[in-house]
Order: sequence, then C-alpha cells, then structure tokens
Amino acid sequence: MKRALLCASLVLAGCTSELRGPLGERDATTPVRGGTLRMASFTDVRSLDAAVAFDEVSHALEGLVYATLVTLSPAGEIEPELVERWTVDEARTRYVFTLRTGVMMQDGHPLGADDVKRSIERALSPDTPCPVASFYERIAGFGEYTSRKRDTLSGLEVLGDHQFAITLTEPDATLLAVLSLPIVAPVCQTAGRAFDRDFSLHACGAGPFRLERWEPGRQVVFRRFESYFRPGLPYLDRIEWALAVPQFTQRFRFEAGEQDFLHDFTHADLSRYLSSPAWERRGVWDPAKAVHSFFMNTTMPPFDDVRLRRAVSFAIDREQIARLRPGETSPMSRLIPPAVPGHDPTPGQRFDLERAREEMKQAGYPFDPATGRGGYPEEIAFSCVGDSFEQQAAEVYQQQLARIGIRIRVKTRAWSAYLAETSRRGTSQMGSDGWAMDFPDPSDFFEPILSTRAISEEDSQNRAFWSNREFDALLGDARREPDFGARMRLYRRAEQLVFDEAPWVIVYTKRWFNLHHRYVGGFTVNPSRTQDVGRVWLDAAMRARARDRRAALPFSRGALGQRFARWP
Amino acid sequence: MAVIARAVRRLGLSLLVLWAVVTLAFVINHVLPGDPARLLAGPQARPADVAKLRAELGTDRPMLVQYARFARRLVHAGPRTTTKSDKQHASCSAFGAIHVDLGMSFQQRKPVARLIGERLPATALLAAMAVTFEVLFAVSLGLLAARLRRTLIDDAVMATSLLLASVPTFLTALVLQIVFAYRLRWLPFDGVGDTTASTLTHAILPAATLGLYGAGWATRLVRDEVLAELGKPYVRTARAKGASEARVLFGHALRNVALPLVTLVGLDLGALLGGAIVTEKIFRWPGIGSLSIDAVVTRDGPVIMGTVIVASTGIVVANLLVDALYGALDPRTRRPMA
Repeated sequence: MKRALLCASLVLAGCTSELRGPLGERDATTPVRGGTLRMASFTDVRSLDAAVAFDEVSHALEGLVYATLVTLSPAGEIEPELVERWTVDEARTRYVFTLRTGVMMQDGHPLGADDVKRSIERALSPDTPCPVASFYERIAGFGEYTSRKRDTLSGLEVLGDHQFAITLTEPDATLLAVLSLPIVAPVCQTAGRAFDRDFSLHACGAGPFRLERWEPGRQVVFRRFESYFRPGLPYLDRIEWALAVPQFTQRFRFEAGEQDFLHDFTHADLSRYLSSPAWERRGVWDPAKAVHSFFMNTTMPPFDDVRLRRAVSFAIDREQIARLRPGETSPMSRLIPPAVPGHDPTPGQRFDLERAREEMKQAGYPFDPATGRGGYPEEIAFSCVGDSFEQQAAEVYQQQLARIGIRIRVKTRAWSAYLAETSRRGTSQMGSDGWAMDFPDPSDFFEPILSTRAISEEDSQNRAFWSNREFDALLGDARREPDFGARMRLYRRAEQLVFDEAPWVIVYTKRWFNLHHRYVGGFTVNPSRTQDVGRVWLDAAMRARARDRRAALPFSRGALGQRFARWP
Repeated sequence: MAVIARAVRRLGLSLLVLWAVVTLAFVINHVLPGDPARLLAGPQARPADVAKLRAELGTDRPMLVQYARFARRLVHAGPRTTTKSDKQHASCSAFGAIHVDLGMSFQQRKPVARLIGERLPATALLAAMAVTFEVLFAVSLGLLAARLRRTLIDDAVMATSLLLASVPTFLTALVLQIVFAYRLRWLPFDGVGDTTASTLTHAILPAATLGLYGAGWATRLVRDEVLAELGKPYVRTARAKGASEARVLFGHALRNVALPLVTLVGLDLGALLGGAIVTEKIFRWPGIGSLSIDAVVTRDGPVIMGTVIVASTGIVVANLLVDALYGALDPRTRRPMA
C-alpha cells in the first residue's frame, strides 16, 4: 500500500501545473556587485563574430562582448557610444567621428581609429560572409572594395589616433543608424584583417563582458571585463547563457530557480503568467519592432486589380486578429512599428466592411451577404508557414474575406519552401509577410519591402511585386533629406500610396515578454536588442535562500545530478 | 570459403545501399524548394548579400556539378598533415593519406566531419545506454510475465508494455523531466555534464525515454518467445532431468529467445546511432539527431549529407553485426544453405 501511495504521489507530483510565484523575499532595488546570472534561449547561435552574426539571439549575446560606435537611447534616438561626437559637412556626404579616449579593448589594447577602419573593412570584405554588407553600400569605394578592385575602403579614412571620417557617394540619413549595428563594432586586433571562422570562439571587443567560453549548442559563458569604459559597470561577475533550451524546459528551470530570466514562452505559459496574481505587474514587454502583414501579388489575377486589393484591405478586422493572442499581439495599420523612430500611432489602413463591398462591386464582383451570392468566383491561395501564428491568422482572414465574397485556401509550407515560393515572380497570389527592424530608421520599413529595387525574379523581397515610381522617388528623397521631420513627411506620403494601392495589408505587431525573479534588478528594455542584461545586478544571497526554501518541498531533498557532478 | 564469399557479398550490397541512400538524399535535398543562402542570410537579407553567399557556398552551380564535386571529394588521397591555411583540405578529416571530406557546414562554417566527430560519441553513449535499459527492462519483465503467466502481474506487465510502446517519446520525455528533474530534483533537466559521472547522470533521462519506448515492444517479444520455448520438448527434458527453474529459464529458454531479441535490439541500435531527433531536442543532448534536424530546417546540405551517411552506415553496420551474432548464438545459422 505504501508503495502504491508513493507511485501515486510521483505521478501527481508530475502532473500538477500550477504556477509558483517569483523567488526572493523583496525586489532587489539596490545594485549589488558580483554573482552569476543564468539566462537561456530557445534558439542556438551560429556565430559570435560581430561581422557575421545577425539574428535576435546573436544580437543579445554580441551586446555583451562588443561595444558599438553609436547606440540607441531608451527613447530610440541615436547617441554616442564608442564615438564621442561627430560632425557632418554641408553636402552631408562626409562625417568626421571622434572616438572616446581611454577605451580599452578586451585584448588589452587601447581603441584607436585604426581599429575602427580595420574592423569595418574586415566586416565588408568580399571574403567575409556578412549577410548585410549592402547596408553600407553608400560608403565611397564600397563597390571597388567588395569587387576586389581595391584593397581598402576609400571612403573610410583614419585622420588621427582617435579620429576617422566616412565619405558617402550621396547623402544618406541612415548612416548613423547602420553604424549602431554590431556588424561594424570594433573588434580586437586578434580578429585580424580577414574573416576567420575560429574568431567566434574567441570573440573579443570593447563590451562589458569577455567571452569565457562558447560550447556550441550548449551554452555561452561570459566574465566581467574589468576595464570596461563605463566606470562601475557591469555589476555581474559572470553570465551563463544556455542555448537551444525548449520553452517548457525553460519554464521549469525558471520556477525551480535554475534560470533567472524568462523570455521564451509557450503561448499557454505566457497566458498563465499574465493572469497569475503572483506575477502581476512583474513582467516587462519589449517594444514592438516588427510589422506583420500579408501581401497581394499585383502582377497576378485577381490582385492586378487595385479595387480588389482595396476591398481586401478594408475587409480585415485587425482587432479580431490581435485577440488571438492578447498582450502579445496588437493591431497595427501603419508600416513603422512602435520601437522605430517615426512611428505614428494614428490609424492608417482601416476596417470598413461596407467600403470593402463597394470596392468589390466596382471591381465587377458584387456580393450579397444575405444570400451569399456573388463575389469573386475562384478560390485564391494564401501562402504561409505551417504550424505558425501566421497560419492561425490566415484562418481568420479566410472568415473575414468570406464576408465580402472572397474565398481563400490556406496553403501551408515549410519555412524554406515558403520563402522560395513567395519570392518567385508569378507563383503566389497572396500570403503572409512582414518585416522586423534591421536598424533603427524608418527607411528600413519601406525600401527593402515595397520599392521597385526590391523586386527580382527569383528572390524578391517585394513579394507583392508592386512598383510605383512616385513611391520610389519619395523614398530616394527621404533617404537624402537631413531633417527628420521633413523625412517623416515624405514617408507619410509614401505610406499613403501603400494605403491607396494596397499591395500590403498591415495587420498586427508582436512583442516579447521578459520576466525575472525578485532577486534580479536593473533590467530595462533596450529598443534595439532583446534581453539586454549588460546593466543587470542580482542578489545572489537572496537567490540562494529562495532556492533552498523552494527545494524544501516534499520529495525535493537534493539534486542527485549536482552530487554526481562533484565526482571526478 | 563460402562464409567469406557470403560476407564479401553482404559488404558489397551494404555499400551499394549506402551509395543509393546518399545519392537519393542528395537529389531530394536539391529538388526541394528553398535556398540555403537565403536561409543563412536570413529572410530580410538584401538580394545582393544573398547572391554573394550563394557564390561562396557554391550553391549557384548546377546540381550535377555539385554532386560530382561531392562524390569526388568524399574519399580522396591527400597530404598526411594539413594546415589551417590549406584551403583545399580545410574541410577534410585525414586518416593518414586518406581524406574524408563531407564539406563545410553552411550554417556553422565548420567541417562537417568535425561536427559529426564531436557529436557521434554523445549519440553512441545515448544509444548504448538506451539499448542497455531496453534489454534489462525487457528481459526482467518479460521473464517475470512468462513465469507468472495468467496472473495479475502478467496482466500488469503486458498493460505497461503496451502503454510504453504506444506513448510517443516526447510525452515520456516530458513526464520523466517533470517528475525527476522538476519535482523531485533527482536528475538534471537536460544538457550534458562536464565530467564522466555527470555526463552519465545527464544521460539517464534521455536514455530512459528511448529505452522505455523500445522496452515496450521488447518485453512483449521476450514474454511470448519464452512462453513458446517453455512449451517445447527440450524444456520438458531439462525439467525431467531435475534442472532448476532458474536454469530452465536462463540457461535454456532465454538463450533461444536471444535470436529475435538481438534482431530487434540491433535494429533499434542502428536507428539510434542515426540520432534520436525528438529526445535529443527535448533534453538538449548534443547528438547526431539534433544536428540533423537543424540541418534539415536550415537546408544545410553538407550536414544533411553527413548525417545521412552516418545514419545509414549505423543501420548497415548494426545489421552486419546482428548477422555476425546470429552465427555466434546459433551454430545452425553458420551452416551453408543446402
């Protein structure tokens, strides 16, 4: 009987799924020096080389090792980081930058202008697999350098120990924004002048933490860089960042006090935390940096008819889509998301069912909702990635468009197949689309997605294949315009063209949630990168006490694994 | 002589099977839609940057050219020692003058042979522990059920084995993780350890997950086979000669059950050497399975080919071993067929 009870207890212990509250008796409000912070990510990282890695998790890790030339303020404005100040000439094609003095790199050398030139040339070299080198194509001499006609980048000059200049082929208001990316962050002399895949294992920059070790697929460990240029920072001794940890495992580790931060949630767990009284007002949302939409291929029937596209645009009820994942998704009707400079919270594209039916009528497909007669006679395929939120959203579009007489069939694909199909001319009628911030500038949400230049036969970023000369001209003018207010007016006009011609229907934006225990303090969201823990502190003593209390639950008499780990 | 001829024929057939599998995988990987350079650069990379990567990876060349290069480089002669600056042999693993070149991973930018070399020991350990668990579980419970036939214990063992064989591994993994790592805190959640002992501790839950699944089938097999053996005349003779029940079970019946059990376990071992995708992912076990699924998702062609070669070789080798064991376990199978 005793054994049966034990078995039943074991099963029950494993089956309960109530949320445990945050660990720690009070909020750690006073900075404490020392301790090891334990983080985790759902995805693995491919590289820690600043010139190569360009994804969300890599950015979070790179932010610990490298310091960028300029950075984003919490308000989303460009501000100095390693660069102390800069001047621009009248033609707005030559920028002169002055570096801070006394900045040490993690290899023990002081940062100089030579390091900046070497690092940028290394990143943009034709031998470096940099996925975003074209962001810097307006630097004079970029073409000659990347096609190996010249050995150096002529538009990048060293003027002194701490001064360098960048010359552009034409005025480019995005230069400072692209200089805020880790891609061109100064790297140590140990990185050399040419790309070496092993540098990733010894990544070295001027950031607050040194890379102690990287075990691919397992974890990355960082140690405090004592000579970091910001006095008193960082607070933590070490950061252990586990990689490729499934979301449900992260939740268990977090609740058991084996992980201090939680960022990757299953939708069910996120809902539980948001509605749990124990966790009320404890989380922080990242600012939304992406726009989610769907495209209509303007070169394929039936969406070669602008009236039909407008009808679809008016028929989408964004509020209903956002209700699929409350908190995580918000309705959106303009191109620039909240985290990007130039965001406008006023409505852009709008939901108007009557207007949608009127557009259908004008297109020659009148629809009577009472009888269900009329509408577009053929079924339209909607492409999206299977088992994704986009698929759920597509199923709602299906219902919403049925109300104006458009029948869509949701066609799901694997990620790779979806990308290949939707970017090929004449292949996909419509499908899910979207864009996440590459760099903090409004141009990033116009030029790569909807300009004529973004159209190509096989690998088109402009999946609507929409081309509009006026739109292209406005984008060109905006890129050259130095005054931010005037730039935004140009972008608003360009955006109005998107509303009028509806190659895209802008639907929602998505954001990520951050949760930590009470013993962690100092966390604030960073507008340019997720999980920025560079200035975080933790009360290790409070954590130990809280973990011991939690471990004192029935059957939790100690971790066998930890005991074994002490064996030789 | 006949035995050698048969072994050579089996080996030749095995190599042919390997070549067919590898070629088929190569063709499928190239025919499927999806551009590895695009997946490497990211969905938002500008076309010029993607084109640069495509040229660097060599995926802009025709499929036949890529296949010819792959086949030519797979096993070739080269210098006994290679240096980092020797780009021609940068992705090779040298075994003396014989080089094996599985190419360079698109995503991780490391030689595939090195990636597989790093992960194969973890996969082999997991497979060995899982199979050991499977055999111990199946033999002990199978014998118990056979011995106590038509009792409550027999019914319980049969129901348990059916349950284990029916429950998908991801569910077993989650239950084990919740009970032993989260609630009881006896074992680590996932990952691998830093010492031999902690690595073995980390391997217990994933090995149990895989072993329990296999044990479900194997227990039923052992029980049924033992029952069949217990009804045979040689068992009656042994009992009549005064052999103890333990000797009857372990010395006679179990020995004859070994043949089907070895076949089943051998196939399981071969499959596990190719990686246990779901279990490795859940427990963050750095084996071939998680490597292969990541490669498929990112269309990392060289890694896909490398893991296919390892997985198919695992199955072929396990089959050859099973054939060899047949001879050792049952002398009748050594005789040439009439």
